[in-house]
Amino acid sequence: MSDADRSEGESLLKRYSTRALVAGVTIASVVALLLAGLLFPDSLAGTLSDALTSRNTLASALRLSVPIAFAALGGIFAEKSGVINIGLEGLLIISAFSAIYVADITGGVWIGFAGGVVASTLLAALFAVVTIGFRADQIIAGLAVWLIALGLAPFASQVIYSSPNTPTVATTGSITVPVLADLPFFGALFSASPSVYMLFAAVFGSWYVFERTAFGRWIRASGENPKALDTAGVSVTHVRYAAVLISGVLAGMGGAALSLDLGQFTGNGPTMVNGKGFIAIVAYLFGNYNPVGAFLSTMLFAGLDALQTVLQLQGIGIPRQLIRITPFVVVILVLALVGRTRLPEAAGEHYDTEE
Amino acid sequence: MASAVHLDGITKRFPGVVANDNVDLEVEPGTVHALLGENGAGKTTLMNVLYGLYEPTSGTVRLDGEPQTFRSPRDAIDAGVGMIHQHFMLVDPMTVTENITLGNEPRKWGGLAVDRSAAREAIVDLADRYGFDVDPDARVEDISVGEQQRVEILKALYRGADTLILDEPTAVLTPQEVDELFDVLEELTAQGKTIIFITHKLGEAMRAADEISVLRDGRKVGSVDADGTTQEELAELMVGREVLLDVDHGTAETGDVVASVSDIVVEDDRGVPAVNGVSFEIRGGEVFGIAGVDGNGQSELVEAVTGLRTPDTGEIRFRGEDVTSASRRDRIDAGMAYVPEDRQERGLVMEFDLVENGLLGSQHDPELAANGRIDWSKTRGHADAIIDEYDVRPPDADAEAHSLSGGNQQKFIVGREFERDPELVVASHPTRGVDVGSIEFIHERLLELRQQGVAILLVSSKLEEVQGLSDRLAVVYEGEFIDVVDPDETTEEELGLLMAGERPGDGGRPEATESEATERDEPADLTDSADGERA
Repeated sequence: MSDADRSEGESLLKRYSTRALVAGVTIASVVALLLAGLLFPDSLAGTLSDALTSRNTLASALRLSVPIAFAALGGIFAEKSGVINIGLEGLLIISAFSAIYVADITGGVWIGFAGGVVASTLLAALFAVVTIGFRADQIIAGLAVWLIALGLAPFASQVIYSSPNTPTVATTGSITVPVLADLPFFGALFSASPSVYMLFAAVFGSWYVFERTAFGRWIRASGENPKALDTAGVSVTHVRYAAVLISGVLAGMGGAALSLDLGQFTGNGPTMVNGKGFIAIVAYLFGNYNPVGAFLSTMLFAGLDALQTVLQLQGIGIPRQLIRITPFVVVILVLALVGRTRLPEAAGEHYDTEE
Repeated sequence: MASAVHLDGITKRFPGVVANDNVDLEVEPGTVHALLGENGAGKTTLMNVLYGLYEPTSGTVRLDGEPQTFRSPRDAIDAGVGMIHQHFMLVDPMTVTENITLGNEPRKWGGLAVDRSAAREAIVDLADRYGFDVDPDARVEDISVGEQQRVEILKALYRGADTLILDEPTAVLTPQEVDELFDVLEELTAQGKTIIFITHKLGEAMRAADEISVLRDGRKVGSVDADGTTQEELAELMVGREVLLDVDHGTAETGDVVASVSDIVVEDDRGVPAVNGVSFEIRGGEVFGIAGVDGNGQSELVEAVTGLRTPDTGEIRFRGEDVTSASRRDRIDAGMAYVPEDRQERGLVMEFDLVENGLLGSQHDPELAANGRIDWSKTRGHADAIIDEYDVRPPDADAEAHSLSGGNQQKFIVGREFERDPELVVASHPTRGVDVGSIEFIHERLLELRQQGVAILLVSSKLEEVQGLSDRLAVVYEGEFIDVVDPDETTEEELGLLMAGERPGDGGRPEATESEATERDEPADLTDSADGERA
């Protein structure tokens, strides 16, 4: 009895301790920095804590988070069901362009937004048919999704607008809650783009689906032990199609939010998406496939990026490239050294219904 | 309440093999029925038909007299048939309750949420009703195998099963858990459930079942009352008399000791000793046979000799040298050939063609691969020679291994291993699931090698085979050699008694201690179905 208790306690400890440690260290160092900044306002720590507590930092972290976090949520749905969707980057690109294009021809920002979501979902559907229906390798198909979008979006822009960059359209603007928006720091939460609020809803919604609904359990079972789900009488194929389509919808919302926030799609080089889809993968891995965890990791990465921008303005230059690789360094450390992220057992494997 | 199961004339054919041949089975309601047979006898196939995983080629399934057509397990579940597979169908990171209710979750709020308290209550009620001890909130990955099995049983009961099929339920259990399982089965039948359990262990069938049906080579060879039979009778039914193969045994000059095993103890995957202090030696030109009911330590012994498993104690010598912890490669290089019992798992790479498969084990042979480069034209010549010499059909080196029938796959493996110029051949069930023509062919080749002075260790559960080919025959029971006999001077009945654990002279079964009393199983070879024969 006591043995069982102890081993359970140990496994709980193992399951949570390292992640808790990372979170604890992060919080402790931020608190230490803020204290140091408070005590010595003129030191580097002072400047840093000023930047950290600035409302602008939070506002820009939130804005940077939107496309990444949406894509990360989408990635969670797909991968938890057993389909690794590394084409998130491509879904973001295609929806970012389509949203601007549809907004441009219809004149409606939200119609454009819907257009972006539809485009991304269609591309995700293609990915689903190829990987689930025709059992193609998920990684290769996912790379294809990225490369198709990377080529197609700037090309379409070139054909339609004679430039890889589209003209500017109306933006989604922002929603401001009176009074609350004037709060220091947290005020940024109450004066933000509608897509920020949609993201909050999506994070909660995703969490709810996984934790509370039967469908969420089926997705988990489909990625962990598809045979168990199949013998329980639920079609693994249907669940996986649904999960991949949801990932298309969510990534589409992220891409549309990204371009409509600026009112323009820029298609030069890696396009305006510029690796956000890959950071999204890192974010959900770091967040251990938990929607809330993925959102917090996104905020951490985006926060670093925002901080860097703010510091740049204050004359403390940290190379942007260095900040941009942080998520990847972090994920390698987390996966290799800490190793607490547990991939779904059957992720990446095809499921054969006939036995 | 309970369903009586009737299977009428079930035949199930797979390409090239008949897994079930006109099998009739009648199971009385509220009883435990054991389906006994060797691996590959067709037990699991038959139950997969009852569970809707396979549609029978011919024959009908009736429940309570009503003919049923099951197109999927879903149909079988709806008709009240549940199956607990050997490999549990559980989602490890989910809780017991989540696993049991998967696919049938109680809902609330118009289906928008799982009613978790209702689900938990249902599981607690169910567990109470049948006296199961399970924690509904524990994660499956944190509970023992025995508990996981109870979760599987609860899953079937939650779906309203009246008939439960258990496939080799004791294979993964400790002795204590086996006792608990049998208590559970008793409780279930007391409450009107009908149980069919698949096993190849005589003792368990006798202990837990009311009635026992024995399958052999896809046919039912008898149904007996558990109280009115003996282990000896069952062993005879199981192993049986097969097509008499006229093996010209002949005599051969025996040479020096090629291999010797002294006092080895080998643990199985669960850490329980499967081989318990076995010693023997084999001379050149001699076939040393090991007979016994499957799962008495044969697999582990063979794995220890061939270098796939390290013995815990004891010593294995080969050509005078201690090879107890030598690698596979060293043993191959020293002249040890191995025909594994599971050709698809260990003998071949199914997606490779025969050229590539012919190279396996010889990838360091300077003849075929010098300086790290494979000489493909020589390798192809090597494969062609095996195909030609061992009559592998179709004679096409470019054919992928999975496209061959089981018999031809086996002939190719035998050819590859015998062509190594071995000093010792370890042949584990070399003719399992192989057609009669190929059986004779393989037997002839084995005897040819013996004539050439090669030492042969032959493990088989086919009595005819080991008796016909061996010069000396050891009978293994629960990891120990019960006796080593001269096969020509021993009758089948005497061997049957030995295989059931009756020691010569003492007139009774060895009084094994509690921990030793469980029969062993073979983790590597649990799948008793015709899958192995499908091309």
